[in-house]
Amino acid sequence: MYSIAEILIGVIQGLAIILLSPLITGIMQKTKARTQKRIGATILQPYYDIIKLIKKDEVVSDQSSWIFKVCPWINFVALATAAFFIPLFLTYSPFGLAGDLLLVVGLFALARFFTMLAGLDVASSFGGLGSSREMMFSALLEPALFLTIFIVALTYGGTNLSTIVAAVAGATLLPHPQLIFAAIAMFIIVLGETGRLPFDNPATHLELTMVHEAMVLEYSGKSLALIEWSQAIKLMILLALVVNIFAPWGISSSITVATLGIGFISLVAKISLLAVIIAYLESTIAKWRLFRIPDLITIAIASSMIGMVLYYL
Amino acid sequence: MNTIYLDKYKNEMLEKFADKIDKVEENGNEIHFILKDVNDVPLTCNHVYSILGTRLATIICTDELGIKNGFVLRYVFGKENREDIFIFITAVVSQSLFFPSIALQIPAAALYEREIKEMFGLTPTGNPDTRSLVLHEFPEGIFPLRKEFLLKTKVARQQRQYQFLKVEGDGICEIPVGPVHAGIIEPGHFRFSVLGENIINLETRLGYAHKGIEKLAESMKLDDALLLAERISGDESVANSTAYCQAVEKISGIRIPKRAENIRVVFGEMERIYNHISTLAGISTDAGFAFGAARLYILKERLMQLNESLSGSRILFGVNRIGGVRCDISAQDSRLVISTIGTVLRDFDKIISFLKAKSSFMDRLKDAGRIPRKAAQDLGVVGVVARAAGIDVDTRHDHPYAGYLPRNHRTPQQIIEDQIEMEKRSGDALARFEVRVREVRNSAAMVEEMLDLDCDGTFTGMPEKITPYRSALGYSESHRGQTVHWIMIGKDNSIFRYKIRTASFCNWPIIGHAVLKDIVPDFPLVNKSLDLSYSGNDL
Repeated sequence: MYSIAEILIGVIQGLAIILLSPLITGIMQKTKARTQKRIGATILQPYYDIIKLIKKDEVVSDQSSWIFKVCPWINFVALATAAFFIPLFLTYSPFGLAGDLLLVVGLFALARFFTMLAGLDVASSFGGLGSSREMMFSALLEPALFLTIFIVALTYGGTNLSTIVAAVAGATLLPHPQLIFAAIAMFIIVLGETGRLPFDNPATHLELTMVHEAMVLEYSGKSLALIEWSQAIKLMILLALVVNIFAPWGISSSITVATLGIGFISLVAKISLLAVIIAYLESTIAKWRLFRIPDLITIAIASSMIGMVLYYL
Repeated sequence: MNTIYLDKYKNEMLEKFADKIDKVEENGNEIHFILKDVNDVPLTCNHVYSILGTRLATIICTDELGIKNGFVLRYVFGKENREDIFIFITAVVSQSLFFPSIALQIPAAALYEREIKEMFGLTPTGNPDTRSLVLHEFPEGIFPLRKEFLLKTKVARQQRQYQFLKVEGDGICEIPVGPVHAGIIEPGHFRFSVLGENIINLETRLGYAHKGIEKLAESMKLDDALLLAERISGDESVANSTAYCQAVEKISGIRIPKRAENIRVVFGEMERIYNHISTLAGISTDAGFAFGAARLYILKERLMQLNESLSGSRILFGVNRIGGVRCDISAQDSRLVISTIGTVLRDFDKIISFLKAKSSFMDRLKDAGRIPRKAAQDLGVVGVVARAAGIDVDTRHDHPYAGYLPRNHRTPQQIIEDQIEMEKRSGDALARFEVRVREVRNSAAMVEEMLDLDCDGTFTGMPEKITPYRSALGYSESHRGQTVHWIMIGKDNSIFRYKIRTASFCNWPIIGHAVLKDIVPDFPLVNKSLDLSYSGNDL
């Protein structure tokens, strides 16, 4: 069994994801602003936005049902729960016994499923548009994600995140060639899952081109705060997964203040770097045509297939 | 102006319609055929349109009951092959308040007839579409442009039904968008009928920015109406005020100094440059490429600051006046203009070659919003949109005004080269992007050329008392296309009727054709590439 200290660290890891996630979003927004030759808001802006939205009143369409009202909570709870399974700066999460990588993906799917339902529920035309596009993307993204997970799971002998991360942390440089391909696929999936360019433009004001924003267009006040926060958590979880599965160096494998400190600092640095890279990439490409996006997801699937083949070679 | 052609068309029309034409009048490059009977309008218009090969410039209706003339319709056709002629077919509507529609022969006329129906209560017989255009909450039976409708009349709001075209079938959904949009743009309603993401039909409903400019002008003095003309659509202020001033100058027979003419060209082209750059930036934004947009907006800002340092207004208000220009350009100013535009152009070239090298950006533009040339011709599309679809219309050459020169005689080889160039233009968003880029460069060259100013002053003086009920057509090429203003002077140098037709009025209907092969998420990009003004359309 785990000691109290370990459980405490586990709780801190989960809370760290939840609390630090708006900061990562802020860093990305700042990077985008700087690359566009704007000064941009402070990197703390997402926190201010959430606080502001929480103070505001909500407008709820009288055409909507209970689904619309519970969706933000389901989103938040599902993603916050997922956050507790992710090893962040310690190689294992004491909650790992309760769920593995597949559960995390399942919780993502649950959140997404309710967001799509909520988009349809308000009976506005944009919600329907957003939901249909999101369904198209997710039907393609999820197989790619599972293929990538299988490569990792096959390589390290299990889908339990603690096992995987502990195994990777023990290894030197990337020990298996298939992981390079899995990393490529995973990077594209992260862009797709979190609705970054070229999939979706998180900064758009054009109703007709939105995907995620179209589904949540009717939300305001506290509900919107929850939706935005859970979106930030999802981004942070995915980034943490990429970092800890493919580049876990610096992560702590024992509970001492020094190693935990190094683990924490290196993790924050790595995630921030990845966030900056993604934001920079977003600045250098235009949004793709909607029907060309499956091509991009195909690259992810193909890449993970190659990884799979390499594993059996 | 070409008197040979004037006589040619005059004789040809008189020969063909001797029994139908009451009298012929000439006014500069305008030739007016006044018909005996309004029912002969379709026949004569069709002849002028299809046999003489003209484009419908506008249809003007005036309420001349007060001067014992009834409701007068003027169909204005522009000859756009460098003969510089406007042909007016004029007819008085009979007591029955019906007039024959020409919309089935000349599709571009449909919107004008709807406008006349709404504003004057005259019914176009044979026009299948007589729904209201701009007065969405106006009671039935009140017609604001009639003289009996006083400006101070308070009108009660009334809900009116508007029937959109219904597309029915398995899996077809309607998406209503607007009139209030998510971004900071003007109001307009779009009704999409979609099958999945594919657009089956798009209907636009505009008029939400209706301000009653034409009615308001009727109470104004010539000087005040100039300020109004500048504010028709903020970014076309020079084009609109130039057209207005030219109409008044033509009526009163004023000839403005050469220097003033050149200054009008300089400001007109500066307006074109900053607006084209702004539109290119907008295209980049709507393609989801914020970096390109940010870079181009920096250039736009530099140009607007240049505008301010020259005229005191970032959007060039107060440049024109009747009889000349209000704002002189000193030698020091011209050096500033040349150096600023030079550096802007250098950066512009860099950004454009960067954008053209971005495959994800170019892929969005290519084939998006393709306009069939036939549709563009039938709907009488003007400006960049027409030129990008391979129709060579440009008021600056077709009807030279101010300091613009008629296009030089071209050798047969040049003519063929131009024709090939026009044939190559495919009418998609990419073609419009490239035409704009080319025009920015041309305009910059033109500004530099025109800054070699004559020294004969900038102002000849206001017109004295103008004979009432004289009228004339003023026109200019804004960055959106041909702008036409028609003014009829009333008593005491006031305005009797002011008819404005901006380029957007001609170009809005084409959007329904442009998006037919596109998917919904490409619509904002197509819309931006057409660069249509709501305010200029709704008046």
